[in-house]
This record gives sequence, structure tokens and C-alpha cells, in this order.
Amino acid sequence: MTTETKKVRNRRDQTFDPAVAKDELRKEALRGGALACGVADAAAFTAAPEGQRPADLLPGARTVVVVGGGAPRAGDWRSPLHEHQETMGTSDRINSLGLKIAKLIEDRLGFFALFVPPGMNKGNQPFLSVQYAAELAGCGSPSLAGPLLHKQYGMLYYAAIVTTFPFPVDGPSTEQACPAPSCVEMWERERTTPCLRVCPIDSGGCLGGEIAEGGFRNRRYDAARCTTRVYTHWIPGFQKSLEAVLEEKDPERRKMILYGSFFTRTLWAMTYSAQSQAQCYECIRVCPVGTERHDKA
Amino acid sequence: MSGFFFVDPELYRRYKDQVLELSNSVQINVQEHLPREQRRRGLSDREIAKRLGLDERVVREIRVVAERDRYDIEEWQKAIEFKDRACRAYAKDGASYVFEGRRKR
Repeated sequence: MTTETKKVRNRRDQTFDPAVAKDELRKEALRGGALACGVADAAAFTAAPEGQRPADLLPGARTVVVVGGGAPRAGDWRSPLHEHQETMGTSDRINSLGLKIAKLIEDRLGFFALFVPPGMNKGNQPFLSVQYAAELAGCGSPSLAGPLLHKQYGMLYYAAIVTTFPFPVDGPSTEQACPAPSCVEMWERERTTPCLRVCPIDSGGCLGGEIAEGGFRNRRYDAARCTTRVYTHWIPGFQKSLEAVLEEKDPERRKMILYGSFFTRTLWAMTYSAQSQAQCYECIRVCPVGTERHDKA
Repeated sequence: MSGFFFVDPELYRRYKDQVLELSNSVQINVQEHLPREQRRRGLSDREIAKRLGLDERVVREIRVVAERDRYDIEEWQKAIEFKDRACRAYAKDGASYVFEGRRKR
């Protein structure tokens, strides 16, 4: 962590100690329901594609505040209905906290703050990778399955706020949550891990890779197949089923598709919320990181 | 539809495989945390355009269409069956359903 003690002044001629401001921000975030809160250096996004860096969204960006939380509860993970988690996505909770943090920075500190929209920009691309921001803010570490994993809480949802305020930077965590010790043992015994077994890329799934020297290596990921699972009843599923409707020449058969369960559920899902809802959790459902919290009676 | 931009289907068919291969669609060691010499990140639309001698906007459209086109609607149906099977197995046996010899699927 860098320690910046130099005070900063806003245009209203108010001065702030960045370290004190960060402490207050963190307290607000935790009070608002965040389980993780960190700050990334806006200049550290060097591995992000052009156009998806903090200064591309907010000129003069100096830091990116990240809050994490809103994970599914133990009961959600336990339900035998995969449709349950598909429908009650909890990411909106952390997004509303992100909006609150952005307002707090502008109102209290008088510096620009931009909440990174969780939806898609042109070209089916994010405005900025919130997961990468969370990694650079020390909120978690990359995993073989894909989602960033918090050492204590496992998978969390994240929101990012780009700001011109120079909060002291946390930087990436040096602790790797993946692979968990039990996954290393499984790899030594069976040459696979829980996530790889559930969704193997060479047998119709999305994930490949290996464990070596306590880390994961040669990760492979089929993003297009993952889309069929994560967005089964969302925009991609709607496009595919609409295509089937338009291609069907027979009016009776067309009606069967249009009024059928796939198309109907897709429309319900799309109109249920303005947020992108993940619809597949199977690789993370079996991930041991953070599962202590799932142990209920 | 002269004012509406979309890619010519022939152009799409010609370049879709190359564009997908160069992009992030199938990822091998793309994670940002990997050392520069190990990381094999997907190229941006601008980089792909430069390599293939196409306009960036054309590459973007080819990629977006190809990402959706890669799997047939049947794969979406299979996704439902996969999730139902995996979710019910976990509810019944917990994470032990993924271990060898304890799988009941």
C-alpha cells in the first residue's frame, strides 16, 4: 500500500487528507453492505484494451474505487433449482452501493466520480473490466474457473467507481485464493479440479487448464459456449430463439416456438431486471473457496 | 436499409473464423495477471483490423455476429439440461458429486 499524506484541495478550496478520506469511504462501504473495498491506481490498467481504461471513461482519472459483496446466500447455493439463482440475481445490490459511493465522492470531496455501468458498451464489450479493477484493487485474485475469488468470501459481485480523487492505492493482492488446497489434492489424485470436472472444455464444457507449482496454468476458456450457459435466457438466448422464429415458415410451428417455454422464459428474464443476470453458477457452485459460509443447518 | 450498417454476409463468411481466433472468444492464457511473456491476450478489434486489412467497424460487426453464431440453438437447450443436472447433483450430494467414484450422475 502506498501512503500518501499530502493534502489535496478541491475547487471549493476545501482540503482533504486522502488517507482519512479513504478510511471514511471504506467505513461507508462496509456500512452499506460491502464485504470488500479497495482502491486501484487508474494508471495500472495497462493490460486492458484501448478504450477500456479508466481515463477513457473519465479524463484525469487517478484512482478506481471497487466495492464487492452481494453474493448469493447459502440457501441460494443449496437450491436444486438452477432457475432460482438465474432469476434472483443479487448484483444490483452492489451496483446501488457503487452509485452511492460515487455520489459521496462528488458531494463530500468535490471530485469527479464515475460509476462504471455494469452493462455493455458497443461491440458487446464492457466499458471497463470491473473484474480487472477488483483485482488491481486487491479485492481478490484470478481463478481457473474465471471469476475473481476473494480469499475469505469466494465469488463476489463488484462495482467500480472511477474518480479524480487521489485515494491511496491498495494494489493487487499477493495472496492467491485459487487453487484451494483441496483442489491441489484433487489434481494430484485425479488430474482435475472441481470446476474442470463440472465444465470440461474437451467434453462439451467451457474450462481447461492444469495445476502446477501451487498455481493454475494454461487456462483455456470457451467464451462462446459459456455464453450459452450464462445467458441462456437473456439477450443471446433471445437472439437465437428469435432467429428460429423468423426462419420458421409454418405459422403453427412458429407459434409453438413463440409461445413455448424457452421463448417465454427468456422474455420474463429479460424484463425482470435492468441488470445483466448470470444464469450459470456450476463451476463456482463446487469451488471450495469461501464455502465455510455455506455450512448451515 | 441503405442507412443501416451491417456486414455483407459474404465478407462475414470469409473472415469470421480468423476474427474469432484472434479475439477473446476462445481464450488461452489471457488473464491480465500473467507475465507478459506467458500471456496470450486476444487482440482488440483495432488490432485485428490492422492485421487483416479491414476497417475496425467491420471487424467489430464480424466478431459480434460470429460470437453469437458460433453455437446453434441446440447448444442453448443443452445448457439448460447441463445446469439442471449439475445443480440437482450438488443439492443431493454437495461438492462430493465431482469426485471420482462418488459421482452419481
